[in-house]
This record gives sequence, C-alpha cells and structure tokens, in this order.
Amino acid sequence: MTRLVRPISCMALLVMVGASACVPQAPSVQGRAVNQLYGIFAVIASIIFVVTAALIALSMLRYRAKPSDDALPAQFEGNVKLELIWFAIPTVIVVVLFILTLQKLDVVTERAPDPESIIEVDAYQWGWSFTYRGEGVNISGGPHNDPELVVPIDRAVAFEISAEDVQHSFYLPRLLIKRDAIPGRTNRVDVEIDEPGRYIGKCAEFCGLLHAEMNFVVRAVPPLEYRAWLNERKQDDGNA
Amino acid sequence: MATLEHSVPRTAGGLLEWFTSVDHKKIGILYLSSALVFFVLSGILALVMRSELAQPGLQLVDRQTYAQLFTMHGTGMMFFFGTPMVIGLANYFVPLHIGAPDVAFPRLNAFAFWLTLAGAVMAFAGFLTATGAAAFGWTAYAPLSGDAYSPGTGADLWIIGVALSGVAGVLAAVNLLATIFGMRAPGMSMLRMSIFNWNIVVTSILIAFSFPALTVALALLWADRNLGSSFFEPAGGGDPVLYQHLFWFFGHPEVYILILPFFGIVTEIIPVFSRKPVFGYKGFVFATLLIGAYSFSVWAHHMFTTGAVDGPFFSATSMLIAVPTGIKFFNWIGTMWGGKIRFQTPMLFCAGFLFMFLMGGITGVFLASPPLDYFVHDTYYVVAHLHYVLFGGSVFAMFAGLYYWIPKMSGRMLSEGLGKLHFVLLLVGMNAAFFPMHQLGIDGMQRRIPDYPASFGYAQENLVSTAGAFLIALAVLVFFINLFVSLRRGPLAGDDPWGGYTLEWATTSPPPHHNFHRLPPIRSARPVFDERRENAQAGPEGGSP
Ligand code: HEM
Ligand SMILES: [Cu+2]
Ligand SMILES: [Cu+2]
Repeated sequence: MTRLVRPISCMALLVMVGASACVPQAPSVQGRAVNQLYGIFAVIASIIFVVTAALIALSMLRYRAKPSDDALPAQFEGNVKLELIWFAIPTVIVVVLFILTLQKLDVVTERAPDPESIIEVDAYQWGWSFTYRGEGVNISGGPHNDPELVVPIDRAVAFEISAEDVQHSFYLPRLLIKRDAIPGRTNRVDVEIDEPGRYIGKCAEFCGLLHAEMNFVVRAVPPLEYRAWLNERKQDDGNA
Repeated sequence: MATLEHSVPRTAGGLLEWFTSVDHKKIGILYLSSALVFFVLSGILALVMRSELAQPGLQLVDRQTYAQLFTMHGTGMMFFFGTPMVIGLANYFVPLHIGAPDVAFPRLNAFAFWLTLAGAVMAFAGFLTATGAAAFGWTAYAPLSGDAYSPGTGADLWIIGVALSGVAGVLAAVNLLATIFGMRAPGMSMLRMSIFNWNIVVTSILIAFSFPALTVALALLWADRNLGSSFFEPAGGGDPVLYQHLFWFFGHPEVYILILPFFGIVTEIIPVFSRKPVFGYKGFVFATLLIGAYSFSVWAHHMFTTGAVDGPFFSATSMLIAVPTGIKFFNWIGTMWGGKIRFQTPMLFCAGFLFMFLMGGITGVFLASPPLDYFVHDTYYVVAHLHYVLFGGSVFAMFAGLYYWIPKMSGRMLSEGLGKLHFVLLLVGMNAAFFPMHQLGIDGMQRRIPDYPASFGYAQENLVSTAGAFLIALAVLVFFINLFVSLRRGPLAGDDPWGGYTLEWATTSPPPHHNFHRLPPIRSARPVFDERRENAQAGPEGGSP
C-alpha cells in the first residue's frame, strides 16, 4: 500500500494543476473571487477524484479472479465503523466547501454603496439596450451591430438587468459572471474591472432564433477617459 | 397460485399478443424496446447537432431546426428513453426479485405503457407539422414557450405528449409500489429485498410526488397558450420564475429517477461478479432513502442565476447530497475488496460506470456553489456534467444491466467479444465527446447555440467532441449487432449463467408465465446463493430440494 502513496499523490498533483489552470485569470474583483474559489474546489476535487479512482482501480486489479481459483472468497457483509468513517469524511469536506462558498458569495453579490455608474440592461429578442442612469446615454444594438458600452476601471459599476419579452441572461465570460434577464424582474450585479480591455458579452439563456448572435462588448477604460467618453456621448445624443 | 391463474386474463398468441398482453415481462420488454428506439432516435438528433457544431459556420441545419434538435434530443432522452427504460427494467425484475407472479395491477400496467408510447409519438409528431417540433429546450421555460414566441402545433403536441407520459409514469410508479409492498413472497422481508428493489421503491416515490408538479406546470402553460390565461406572463401579472420552480421541483427528482435504479443495477452486479455479498446492505438502503429525501429540497440549484432564490440554502442541501452518494462509492469499493472479480461484460460496464459517474458527481458539487454556478451555468460545462452523470452513469449502468439480464429475458447469452468491443468504443467515445465540453464551458461557449465564430477559439474541442459522438454511435451499433446475432444464435443461458444471488436466477430463462414453478426458501438477501451453497455442502447426491 505505502508504495502506492507516491504515484497517487503525483497523479493528484497533476490533475490539480490541470483542473485549476484551465480557468482564465479574471480581470475583476468579483471574477478573482470566483477564480480563487474554483481553484480551491479544483484542488479538493482532484484529490477526491484521484484517491477514489485509485481505490477503485486498486480493488479491481488486486482482486481480479485468477483463472484456476474457484474457491469462494471470504463473505464479509460490511463494517459499521468503516461506514461511519466514510460518512464523516465527505460530510466534513462538504461543510468546508460550503463555508468557502459563503465567503465568496458575499464578494460576488456585494452591492457597492455608491457605484460610479448604474447601467440599466434591457434584453430583448434579439439585442441589448444599455442606459446609463441619470446620464441620458443609451447604447443599443443587436446581431451584426453589437453594442459596445464603456465602463471605468477600478470603480464599481452596477448593472440592473431585466428583459422585455422572454428570458435572457447577461453573461460576461472573461469576468466569470452571469445573471438572468427576466421580464417583470430586475437583477443587480456589481462589477469592478481592474484591467483596461475589450470584454465580450453574450446571452446565456436560450431566447429563440438569434440567441447565439446576441453578443455585446464591454470596453473598460481609465476613469478619466470614461468621463470624457460619457460627456461626448451625452452631447452626441443631445444633438441627435 | 391457482387463484392468481384466474386473475390474469388470457392473451392472444403471436404478434397480437404484444398488443394485448398484460404480463409484466412482456410489458417490460415493450418498455425496453420502445425506450431503446427513442434512445436511437434522440441519439441521431444528437449526431446531427454534433455534426453542425464540428466547425464554425452553419453548414447542415438552420437555426430553427437546431433548436428543434436539442429540444427533442433532451426531451426524447429524458422522457421517452430514460424514464421508460427505468420503468421497463423495474417491470420485468421487481416481481421476479420479490418472488411474485406479476405486478399488482396488470391492466393498469399495460395502460401506462401504451399511454407513455402515445405521449412519445405525439411529442415527436411535431416534426411532421408545418412549423416543426417544439423548439424551446427540454425545460420549456415560459414565456419563450408561450403562444406569442412559440406559435405552432409542435409546441402544443410537445406539452400534451410530455404530460401524458408523465401521468403514465405516476400510474406505473403506484403499481410498482403496490407490488413491492403487497406481493412479496413469504420470507421476503423488506430488509431481504434486493438493493435494486430498494432503489425502485425510492424511485417510484420520487415519480409519484414529482411528476404531478410537471403536470401542473404543463397544464398552466397549455392554458396560457390556448385559453388566454397569464400564469407565467408578466404582462398579465404572471411570473416566469414560478414556471421554473414548478419545472425543477419535478426536474431535479427526475435526474434521481434516472440514476437511482442504475445505482441499484450496479449494486446487484458488482457483488455477483466479485462473488461476495454487498458491503453494507443497510448503508446502501439508508443512503438511498437519504438521497430520495434530499432530492426534494434542492430544486432551486438550477435557478441560482435567476437571483430569485435563496442561494445559501439550496447550495447547502445540494452539497449535502454528495454525502450519501459518497457512501455508495465506498460501499462499492468495499464490495469488490477481498473478492474474486470476474470481468465479464456486465462487470466491465460497472467499472466504466464507477469512473464516469465519479467524474460527473464531482463536477456537480462545483455547480452547487452559487459563485461557480454564476460562472458556468448555461454553458457547455453543464452539458459535460449532465452527460457524465446521465451517459457515463445511467447509460453505462443500463448496458451493464442489459448484458446481465438479457440472458434471463431471452434465454440466450450475448457475445462477450462484441460486448467488450462495445465497451471499449463507448468508453473512448464518451470521454472524447464529453470531456472537452468542460473546457468549452469554462471558455464561455453557451449551450443551445447552433454556431460560434471562429475567433472564439472553440473549433478544436468541438471537432474532438464530434468525433467522440460518432464513436459512441459506432459502439451502439456494435451493441445492436450483438443483440441481433446473439438472440438468434447465442449459446443457451440456462437458469443461472452468472452464479446470481436474487430470485430471478431461481427460475428458467425466460421465466414461465407466472414466473416460478418453485421458490427457494428465503432466509437472506441472497436466496439463490444460499440454496446453491447448501446443495454444494450436502454433496452432489444429497441436496435435491
Ligand atoms: C448519444 C450520445 C449523446 C450525444 C452525442 C449528446 C450530445 C448532446 C449535445 C451536444 C447537447 C447540447 C446541445 C446544445 O446545448 O446545443 C446535448 C444536450 C442534452 N442531452 Fe445529450 N447527448 C447524448 C446522449 C444523451 C443521453 C443518454 C441523455 C440522457 C439520458 C442526454 C440528455 C441531454 C439533455 C437533457 C440535454 C439538454 C437539452 C436541452 O438543452 O434542452 N443526452 N446532448
Ligand atoms: Cu439568448
Ligand atoms: Cu438538480
């Protein structure tokens, strides 16, 4: 048994690295909380997977029938002490995972008391309308005319999400976040991006024919540039 | 026995017999056959989807057709393959396992089957209408499934077809419960029942209590579409989230309906092929009851992203369900430990089940954590997870069960060589098809999309996945060739080809009309094993009963 500890722990390490490396590093406060949580889950899951799979494989290899051996093996029917142990182990693991979940849940659902901007997101078949509350700026568009909204980095921005017709879902893959857009309800998600860049947004809830084409872009820029952009848009919209 | 002879009506001979029979074995085979037909049909729909997704761009089908494909693939697999497969296996083997001549209500049994089939045909008949089949996903979320956004007959046929098969499921479940509680042979106490039967008890309870929620959801949806009500229309004061609650109050137990019986099958096969009793019989029973109870308190883990449910509560209950599942894993290992395992085809599929279901179970815990679910919900990560559970889990265990039990049902053995080929192809195909989907989901590919731009970088994984899907198809083809050839020319099985434990192995293959000419004494959960051992100890001459 002991000579198996090394190969098994090496395997576990490999699977762990693989499982946690496949999630891209998110450029936002909330996304990084998800990154960390996923990483911890991946480590624990890899250990559980490798240990359990190794035990399954070991019992199969070690106790496969030899061709000539017809005698009945020992007929033991269980062991309550062992069963209690393997009742306790998953319980403890699950409680730990749950506590970690609660901590990160607070980070990803926290509402900034004073967000830099509140953007009303209205999803429809098939497109998005983004209204900067109190600024008189609206950006909208659909397939072949993806709307591009601009947000400041290092500042919390609140999205208030709803839908006009059927359900849609506001999804920013690189920021590891999504929230449903449901007619008759409003969901709020706060995001604080800290790397400038263009991030693709999608619709995640099937909403009919052009569901796959309902993309948009979030362009994150430094706060000063954001203010300048907003003022410019205000004038444009005002003149129009 | 003589009184029972009267209570079951005589049936006509020949082909007609299949339409008029009320024998639980014939009805079981009808269920299995129609389930396999819908497995193949829904599988073909999946192959078309996978072909479309193999590379960026729309090549094969248009968007509307693609939506019909994933809707009818999911619907067919869940309602017309999975559930009837479970009920069919239960139909055939529950009476045999408890030493009964038939189910409690044979006519109701036949009625439930034909109602299921009618529902299935009705839902699939949507393909023949001018506007095509339903195209709103197997979940049919309102308001998309309402008349404004999904006009057309296909949608109504879907609602009525699924509702009919749901009602039929409840009838079948009640019948099975009545059979198990009322018709066990003398000596067959509850704690001597096979673990398969225990799983059917819990499954039937889940069906009886969860399907009515679906029926209500579909009835209200139908009224919204056809009578102008607004249960789910916000404009008229309704709430789309209410539909989701009703649907998932059914939908989550449904996934346990599609996995518990297969846990049961694996728990029958592993001990027989390890030549040991099951490790921790009571632990298995306890874990099964616990899973059944928990499964009614987790439904809203499918709704975290609605922002309309209590995340921590549903996260806690969902994670807790991992505990009884964990117990089962260790008890399966304990059953193999110290045994002398024979790796014939049924056991190979059990081995495949153990590894694949482990994978699906573990990603399930990720999805039970709301912050992680906000990230991967409605992406291919979920598609990967659900296929590791339902394909790697249920379908592998189903094949284990078919290789194990078809000799009993037909009297002939399936070919071991073809069986092993089937297993290897299926294992490789399934992992190629579904493992890359985890990465696609993490990289942001949503489910239910017919196409993706080349610039998103999804092409490679999708190509591998499509190749895997065709390997699966090849594996399933090998299975049907095996079935076709072996049922004609396979070696005779005899009463007990595997050295079985439970009562089906105490009768002929196939069993006679009323199942048993004589029953061995039932003093444990392994009556056939006990009798075999007593006979061996009494010596070749002494032990005749
Ligand atoms: C034969 C091999 C199979 C293949 C290649 C396959 C492939 C797929 C694919 C690619 C999707 C995603 C479609 C999309 O979101 O655009 C899907 C969805 C689904 N599959 Fe399968 N699948 C197979 C077997 C099964 C089985 C055995 C089950 C259940 C017992 C199942 C149940 C489902 C369900 C419930 C969905 C969701 C449908 C929806 O989004 O409405 N599949 N499958
Ligand atoms: Cu959409
Ligand atoms: Cu669920």
